[in-house]
Amino acid sequence: GQAVGEANDDEEGTWKSAACWHNCGGRCVNKVLVKDGVVIRQKTDDTHLDSPDFPQQRGCLRGRSQRQQVFGADRLKYPMKRKNWKPGGGKKELRGKDQWVRISWDEALDIVSSEIKRVKVNYGNEAIWATGDGEMDKVLFENGGCTKDYGTTSWGAWMWASTMMGVAEGYYEVGMNDRLDLRNSQLIVLWGLNPAWSSPGSPTYNYLQAKKAGAKFISIDPMYTDSAEVFDAEWFPIRPGTDHALALAIMHTLLDEDDPKTNPLIDWEFLNSCTVGFDENHMPEGADPKDNFKDYLLGTYDHEPKTAEWASEICGLSPNLIRQLARQIGGTKRVALLTGWAAARINDGEGWVQAFSTLGFMTGHMGRPGRMTGVSVHRAAGNGGPWLIEQGSKGYPAPKENAVTNLINHNEVFSAILDGKFHQKGEGERKANLQFIYHQYNATLQTRTSINQGIKAHREVEFVVTNAYNLTTNAQYSDIVLPVTSMWEREGGLLGGNREMIIVHSNIVDPLYEAKSDIWIAKELMKRLGKNPNTLYPFSEKQAFFNELATTNVIMENGVDFEPLVGITAEDIKAWGVEGKPQKGRVPIAELIERGVYQVARRPGDNFGHIAYEDFVNDPENNPVDTPSGKFEIYCETIHEESKKGWSDIPPIPKYIPKELGYEDTFGDWKNKDKGKYPFQLYNPHYLRRSHTVFDNIPWLREMMPSPLFMNATDAKERGIKDGDTVIIYNDHGKTLRPARVTQTMTPGVLALPHGAWPRFDKDEKIDKAGADNILQAPISTGLGTSGWNTVICDVKKYTGKPLTEDKDWEQLIVFPEG
Amino acid sequence: MTQIGFFIDVTKCIGCKTCVVACKDKNNLEVGRNFRRVYSFEEGVFPNPSLSHVSLSCNHCDVPTCIPNCPTTAIFKRAEDGAVLIDHDKCVGCRYCEWNCPYEAPQFNEQLGKMTKCDTCFDLRDAGEEPVCVTSCPLRAIEFGPITELRKKYGTVSEIKGMPSASITQPNLVMKIK
Repeated sequence: GQAVGEANDDEEGTWKSAACWHNCGGRCVNKVLVKDGVVIRQKTDDTHLDSPDFPQQRGCLRGRSQRQQVFGADRLKYPMKRKNWKPGGGKKELRGKDQWVRISWDEALDIVSSEIKRVKVNYGNEAIWATGDGEMDKVLFENGGCTKDYGTTSWGAWMWASTMMGVAEGYYEVGMNDRLDLRNSQLIVLWGLNPAWSSPGSPTYNYLQAKKAGAKFISIDPMYTDSAEVFDAEWFPIRPGTDHALALAIMHTLLDEDDPKTNPLIDWEFLNSCTVGFDENHMPEGADPKDNFKDYLLGTYDHEPKTAEWASEICGLSPNLIRQLARQIGGTKRVALLTGWAAARINDGEGWVQAFSTLGFMTGHMGRPGRMTGVSVHRAAGNGGPWLIEQGSKGYPAPKENAVTNLINHNEVFSAILDGKFHQKGEGERKANLQFIYHQYNATLQTRTSINQGIKAHREVEFVVTNAYNLTTNAQYSDIVLPVTSMWEREGGLLGGNREMIIVHSNIVDPLYEAKSDIWIAKELMKRLGKNPNTLYPFSEKQAFFNELATTNVIMENGVDFEPLVGITAEDIKAWGVEGKPQKGRVPIAELIERGVYQVARRPGDNFGHIAYEDFVNDPENNPVDTPSGKFEIYCETIHEESKKGWSDIPPIPKYIPKELGYEDTFGDWKNKDKGKYPFQLYNPHYLRRSHTVFDNIPWLREMMPSPLFMNATDAKERGIKDGDTVIIYNDHGKTLRPARVTQTMTPGVLALPHGAWPRFDKDEKIDKAGADNILQAPISTGLGTSGWNTVICDVKKYTGKPLTEDKDWEQLIVFPEG
Repeated sequence: MTQIGFFIDVTKCIGCKTCVVACKDKNNLEVGRNFRRVYSFEEGVFPNPSLSHVSLSCNHCDVPTCIPNCPTTAIFKRAEDGAVLIDHDKCVGCRYCEWNCPYEAPQFNEQLGKMTKCDTCFDLRDAGEEPVCVTSCPLRAIEFGPITELRKKYGTVSEIKGMPSASITQPNLVMKIK
């Protein structure tokens, strides 16, 4: 007998480059072994030897289980409709509970198109709401337009406030230096930043190289994270939403202790040449000199100096620790002051963005080697700078502009349905009569605002349709669900990753069951709406893939110019069966597709490094930033003026205002420190089981990552909660269950509920069992329209009902198990 | 014989379990069956806690307790490299090895009714590759090779607090710990 585990003996088949296309921020090489139309194994980057300067782009546990998503038993197989659906709704209250009936594509598309027409005739185009972005937008724009939504999504208050004051928001523009320069930092401050959980792939490994080069790490976070552990960071446990107060106290300490000669903690030259608004002598034109930041810190006019003692009461760190932190940040020569967006995903978050940036200005940790202040997340986690590979274009014509101007803030999408009105930013109240929801490429019902309010809204409108490949929450509450192909079943395409690489993914298998691509659905709907599909899609999806490859450029050795990445011959064009011209390129098309990735080789001293804001800091007069003053604006009139068009007033300087549903609101009586009805703060860390909501259904990942509620051991003991107990977490917006993970790694008074679980309700729909984070979310908007997911208050207690079984043992959501 | 073994850098591990999933993928392991597992430990008291994660598979021990306790002599140490393997022609799925292994290495396959375990990806190794846990680790915290070489490079630590004593089976495991 042969000695075996269960290796796939006799493996034949072909390795292909497969997409891992989710919104985790990382991009990793994912290859799959295809045999007889099925993927039997995966692997990651083995396209070149691995080294810290030129690392392989290794995938995470989610990428490694991608085949369970594509070939899962819970894939949606056929178009389907809700049993009791009728034109105009038909027992709308049964959405989410009704039975599903298999229908043909023709019937499904006829229903969707006739409902589009009916709702348009009865209520106008404004009544149609297409959520998120995607191909269906294009169809609906051609059809006279539709209502759209917008918001701050992952950015939180970084979305708009940052650019108004002249700093990068962290995605389109990046405020951190590149990863090789990070090794020049002596101190790396991770402020609300846990790459080990939030940025799998290479970022944590890249940070480790900085540690190896001698950097000390600090972690300011409500949780002692795996990043803090692996970087040996000094941990400063902080309450969610109080970072703003801490930053002010750090700056007050710097001001208090700075002596340019004996104890230089402040970079006065930087403040003088690169900023406006710090003191009364550097105010922008027209501003009241008394409104300067320095006098606010000192309490000159409001008689409240923003001392370490003042902040301690709010943020929870002792005054001594705050001062020690200030001395480290101000007194170390080369500091990387890095934050995630999470700390700004709070109500009234704009002031924190202003305060954090101002700390960078004061210490001058910007625009110089080893020195940086900014956001380090998503595609630029641990590695800032412009793209070294410019992804090409598919070449589809631009769709019509949307003729409907209604734009609903994410926090009001469901109340707009329920209350019939919303706040049109910059204008005021508008009436809304939304009757048709098209969920295309998003998880709106889970990731926008209160889930319970969202479900109510979904049962209000006349029609809901979703494109999906699993029974997502959007799909569950729909009338019609159209099964779409996963990226593995499409023609192939490009995926930009970190700045140094691009993934080229191929078709892996034919569409499964009756799934079709979004573009195919869009074309069919165009036909049924009496439009010519060729106006949007004049060529095939294969041609689009080819166009994208042909127009992709890669940086040249000089670090300035770009050249085509892909070499294409006349024979290639013939073999592809597409239109195009031969071109010279760095890698032949066939080789690139086989390899599946192109990564620019890096080494210290190459021409691809990046120091954020270097030109501006070196010569601010000749390289102004994009603000009215041309400088970083500590006093920012733009933010203040823009806030008048939004939801609540934002002062021009980062004045501390208690955050709506922040720490102060956990008290019934703040002055006497009596706790209130909801004594806990709760936030939503990104968690390795999911990329936002995606992957929550994957059995392997449910086993690996149980998605518990993280709570401090003392808090748990006081409430009689033991590790593993089922607890109920609740507030005015909903109730949800989770097993408790009782730990010393959580700040007391703070709960962490991992982001993105798909809700599963008990029979009477009162309690969610899955720990869906937005069950507890208040549907409110503040400032410029920021979504405050990390400002939630609630209570928690031991659940007296039937304890939860482990998520891995839950039944999958399979609609037609018979096949 | 050149005895093989694993090196686990506990100081680099973030507990992401990519190694476990890569192993599941390679070996087609259903929920509940894991040839590699990550054990997490927490110590200390707020605000000074510490975390550690230890990724373990079979340690292909020098004194594997699974072998003498197998009533059908199905488990053996492969001559050329000391990998501990199971002969499925002899295994009757009695699970004695599971009870005897301090590391939970043998994993029962309900469908086959037999024990299964880490085989060091010997098919990949025959093709000149490394075991998938090694090539999957985003933090480069796992190495595989002749144990004498690993010990020369990394020392002889083979247990941390919370783990079974290395004296029981003499595992071919080296760890870097804080």
